[in-house]
Amino acid sequence: MARFGENLPKALAPIAVTAGLLALWQGAALVARSSYLPPMTEILPITVSLVGSGEIFPDLLSSLARLAAGFGIGLVAGIPIGLISGRNRAVEEFIMPLLGAFYPVPKAALMPIVMLWFGAGDLSKVLIIILTVSLPLIYHAQQGARAVDEKLIWSAQAMGCSSLRRLLIVILPASLPEILIGARVAIVIGVIVTITSEMIVRQSGLGNYLFTALDMGQYAMTYAVILIIAVLGFLLDWLFEIMRRRLTLWAPDRQGIEIAVTS
Amino acid sequence: MIILEGVTKTYQRAQGGGEVQALGRISTSIKGGEFVALVGPSGCGKSTLLYIVGGFVPKSSGRILVNDAPVTGPGPDRGPVFQEFALFPWRTVLGNILFGLREQKVPKPEAQSRAQRLIEMVHLKGFEHLYPKELSGGMKQRVAIARTLAYDPAILLMDEPFGALDAQTRTMLQDELLAIWERDTKTVLFVTHAVDEAVYLADRVLVMTAAPGRIKADLAINLPRPRRRDELLRDANYQNYVIEIGHMLDRPAAA
Amino acid sequence: MIAVLRRSYSIVLLLIAWEAAARLGYAPPGLLPAPSAVLVATFEDATNAHFLADFSVTMFRLFLGLAIAISLGVTFGVIAAQSRLGPLLLEPLVRVLSPLPKIVFFPAFLLLFGFGSFSRVVLVVIDAIFPALLAAYYGARAVDEKLIWSARAAGMSQTACIFRIALPAALPTILTGIRIAIVIACVVVFLSEMVAPEDGLGNVMIRAARSFETVQMFVPLVVISLVGFLLDQAVMRVRNAIVHW
Repeated sequence: MARFGENLPKALAPIAVTAGLLALWQGAALVARSSYLPPMTEILPITVSLVGSGEIFPDLLSSLARLAAGFGIGLVAGIPIGLISGRNRAVEEFIMPLLGAFYPVPKAALMPIVMLWFGAGDLSKVLIIILTVSLPLIYHAQQGARAVDEKLIWSAQAMGCSSLRRLLIVILPASLPEILIGARVAIVIGVIVTITSEMIVRQSGLGNYLFTALDMGQYAMTYAVILIIAVLGFLLDWLFEIMRRRLTLWAPDRQGIEIAVTS
Repeated sequence: MIILEGVTKTYQRAQGGGEVQALGRISTSIKGGEFVALVGPSGCGKSTLLYIVGGFVPKSSGRILVNDAPVTGPGPDRGPVFQEFALFPWRTVLGNILFGLREQKVPKPEAQSRAQRLIEMVHLKGFEHLYPKELSGGMKQRVAIARTLAYDPAILLMDEPFGALDAQTRTMLQDELLAIWERDTKTVLFVTHAVDEAVYLADRVLVMTAAPGRIKADLAINLPRPRRRDELLRDANYQNYVIEIGHMLDRPAAA
Repeated sequence: MIAVLRRSYSIVLLLIAWEAAARLGYAPPGLLPAPSAVLVATFEDATNAHFLADFSVTMFRLFLGLAIAISLGVTFGVIAAQSRLGPLLLEPLVRVLSPLPKIVFFPAFLLLFGFGSFSRVVLVVIDAIFPALLAAYYGARAVDEKLIWSARAAGMSQTACIFRIALPAALPTILTGIRIAIVIACVVVFLSEMVAPEDGLGNVMIRAARSFETVQMFVPLVVISLVGFLLDQAVMRVRNAIVHW
């Protein structure tokens, strides 16, 4: 069954799609002729200059720093909790309802409340990032730990491996594929909550930079920043996907679907 | 070496109350160095019995003594080998074999040399740095056996270890297993549903009934060692054992 | 009822601890109001015309956005799964668009469409359409090919195949995707009303924050979370009921 474009290498397709979308934009902008919809030819140079001149770096780095801190802590705290709850019924029954209760809560919306206690600075934002990324990390760590083949555990037990060591050298590596899927979901959600919290409480960071440009009526700049943030989100996801593949080369191929749970 | 007295196993039904008795009262004893095969129809509990001896599954009643000590959990004196290999997929062949040595706190240089010897013994030299994903079924089982032998258990608990392999690999590994056993005088408890395999390998065959599993028969296999496949296949005694045990499995559960 | 409580005892414990902390004076009401206070305020708001107006606005945006996202997403997903060109176009598009934090486009919508409901509904749609579309796509793709072949051999048209075979078979997966879309939509609509406050529940929270009415800050948050939770549970039950054939 000869398919149209079957010979196009798979890697080219996303590039083609991006180019297509940008071209569509350009077309729409030229047709609309509105200052609210500047053409790509105006936006792209600004994007390049923002990055090239380093003007956006302070805010970029501050966003990334918060994200890194929140993600790192969420990882270190969430994975053990998830692994243990995957192997221990009592822990699972304690943790799961809490996860379920927090799942529908808009985490960035907690900013005003958390700010009451911890001020308007980085601490509040980082706490919310931790809360946000913990959910998928705990969930996936739990799923991974649950699914570990009993016989692997028995083999380790027969070798004289204690419970705690087993968690570290059997359950953790065995759950790694699932954990890394959770990490990928977590970083994407992490970017979202970081940017959003910066839009709600405007102090520093890319979200703040974006709305400042909007408030000052610099429309092309606004779109330029949107582009930069979008690319950042894309790059981080891509990075994590590569990391996931490199770290789990040993894993048998996964069956089933990976539904993109992102917003 | 292994003594079982009145061992039973009952499971709670998941939905709608009631219990399922997997094992009826099992009483038998196994001497050190014996190769004992456990055969029975599917679901008779032979694997369960093996897991109970290994300490992976708790018994419901009765006594189990290994070297006069009651079984309270898994331990390096009873090494398992499973049908699905149960290799650690994130570790190489060498890594898997070293695992038990590491847990037993064997110092690095000695562990390395022991592992190398085992790799040669199971004919996997040259494959040390491959991952389980890259191995064939037969190779994986060899690694599993080497991994268990690494921590030198006195008893080998083998749960249909060759069941997932093709016929040729199976016969090859059977002979390799016998060679290893003859060198090391380990006690082996070998679960299988293949009667010819049981007779070929074992000194004794325990035949189990359908659930609730009980030991229906305990046959001594008086065939010459070392077992020579070509000779045995033509040996009338061998054939009689296989036929007789086969009949026992055909008949419905006896009390 | 007892079974539900038993399964979620940690939440009950948390609420009790929280209430106790508030009553015993460990938590100043200006910083952390007691759950009972939040509950009372919620009931009071439920009869308050202003609050109900904001609530309705948010619900309107939520349901409109979801309706569009789900109908478009499921339709495109199922059609793409059954067509030859579909996968070719869809997969790279999803790979590029999925990881983007869609809320970042919100300022653009504000510019183009103003501060009213339209921008917010568009945001909900672009956020919620992905889980619905992907669930429909993968769900329909996973439908046993032989079912389709038999139907086609019996003379069924491509369109009929899509709607009478692929869609029903993919329904459980689609419903799972819808669950995800629902929660995303609730979160996004609320956040859009916080980021660019005009009206709606998110705006209620911002107003309360600005006038330091702490209890009133909790109410809209609790309400939107509850809406998301209940809708999610409802769809889950529907899905589980369907799976039983």
